[in-house]
Amino acid sequence: MLTGSVIDLRAVTVHADRRCLLDVDCLCVEQGGIVGLMGPNGAGKTTLLRVCLGLVKHAQGQIVVLNENVRELRGASLALLRRRIGYVPQLLPARSELPLTVREVVAIGRTARVGLFTRLTRRDWEIVDQWIERLGLKSLCDRPFGAVSGGEQRKTIIARAMVQEPELLLLDEPTANLDLGWREKIVEAIDQIYTQTRISVVLVCHELEVLPPSCRRVALLESGRLVSDGPPEQVFTETRVTELYGTGLRPWHEAGRHALVPGGHRDD
Amino acid sequence: MIDLVYWAPVMVGGALAGASSGALGTFIVGMRIPFLGVCVAHAALAGAVFGSLFGLGGQFLLLPAIGGALLAAFALGMANPERVSLDNNILLSFLFSASMGLAFLGIGLHGILGRSDNDVRSLLWGSLNFCRWEDVWMMGLACVVLVAFVALFFKELRAILFSRMEAQAVGIRVGLVWTLFLGITAVTLTVNFQTVGGLMIYSLMSNPAMAAFQLTRGCGRVLFLSAVLGLVSGLGGFVIAAVTDLPSGAVIVLLSSGLVGCAALVRRFRADRFFC
Repeated sequence: MLTGSVIDLRAVTVHADRRCLLDVDCLCVEQGGIVGLMGPNGAGKTTLLRVCLGLVKHAQGQIVVLNENVRELRGASLALLRRRIGYVPQLLPARSELPLTVREVVAIGRTARVGLFTRLTRRDWEIVDQWIERLGLKSLCDRPFGAVSGGEQRKTIIARAMVQEPELLLLDEPTANLDLGWREKIVEAIDQIYTQTRISVVLVCHELEVLPPSCRRVALLESGRLVSDGPPEQVFTETRVTELYGTGLRPWHEAGRHALVPGGHRDD
Repeated sequence: MIDLVYWAPVMVGGALAGASSGALGTFIVGMRIPFLGVCVAHAALAGAVFGSLFGLGGQFLLLPAIGGALLAAFALGMANPERVSLDNNILLSFLFSASMGLAFLGIGLHGILGRSDNDVRSLLWGSLNFCRWEDVWMMGLACVVLVAFVALFFKELRAILFSRMEAQAVGIRVGLVWTLFLGITAVTLTVNFQTVGGLMIYSLMSNPAMAAFQLTRGCGRVLFLSAVLGLVSGLGGFVIAAVTDLPSGAVIVLLSSGLVGCAALVRRFRADRFFC
């Protein structure tokens, strides 16, 4: 049984090549919460997600995810923790030589869940088909993953994460390289998943527009440090936007959606 | 006419080598490491060379050959490309050059010590025409182990083929499954090398899988079709060679290469790109 936080990071640091990639004093994500993790390129957002998955071996500090101390886990026990986390990576897998179908890719999420030496049962395939249907992928399920569009591939990977029936969903720039239409579809899908399942979600993104209406908390990283944490309106003030991106942009907040629009403060 | 009694082990051996190499090729080509075949061949040669230096001979040389191949396979399996920041193919080229260096060192030592290395050479560069029932039994055993492994770990292998990183992130024991697979691949290839020869195994491993990738989709269907195309190449190539009195190894290699060309043409002219 989980108590309080699904993610509890204290004094977490990651160094590589004598450079500090991450230096977070304290970051907690409460159970059933949705947090947007934002910041410029190289701020440490992806590193933070990988730390939570135990994919960064040289991370220091206290890393507790789903009540498990990640740094103490090895081999099978680390694999067991990862089965409880749905992870959608920033980069989609490079074009696979093997033409796996969309349905097969979604089923990868059940593969770890059922464990070694066990075949996927009819129930597993039902869960796979349910998520294919929920995310509007039914007409594509027998097409090769490499032959569908970037947005459809993103949805497939989100479905793959959801069939794991995870307790925590980590989304790393799920709308990267998508056009505006597809970006909105993915935001809508994330919002729907969160409101319907109340799963804990950490959403890494660059753009305020990607925050779904249900996201009422944003953590802002800059050069590996957590510089602000709170509602989007409080984190992304005009002053903060100018500090981060220079002049020429101002924040816009309305009806639970957020954006940066041209027309900020002028220095002159 | 083909003397079926005399040539039966050759035909069964060709079919088994084709089917097992074709099935293995699905994963090896799928992971973009066809060079693994060459690397395993030279690691097996290095093992056999040093086995011979320690006084082993004849069929017993297969043991150090398998040992050498397993060492190379496990080294590749345990080196996580992400952790060592090197692509699998670069790691393979390192293992290939190291094992080739060891093999030539051993061959050189044979000369210095005044020993014959004929047994070693015939182990690696066998010929299908000399395949006998005892070889076929060995190949059959390797085939059964391979089929059992693929049946047990099919869903994990499918996930690893899609993306090693994704498979690791969802909690699949990638290191364990992949290292075991490479070990079984090393044993299967080494057994096949000594019976039917390196070049033929290399082509039977790559070409049927490449053809299957063009013709169908889905891991199970590709795996099945690749094994069938491998079997067709191995058996069909031998029959064509026997009827036309041409060298069997060359015909098998050319038949499997021809299948890739045909598959590419079929895919090119099909509207929906795949058969099934």
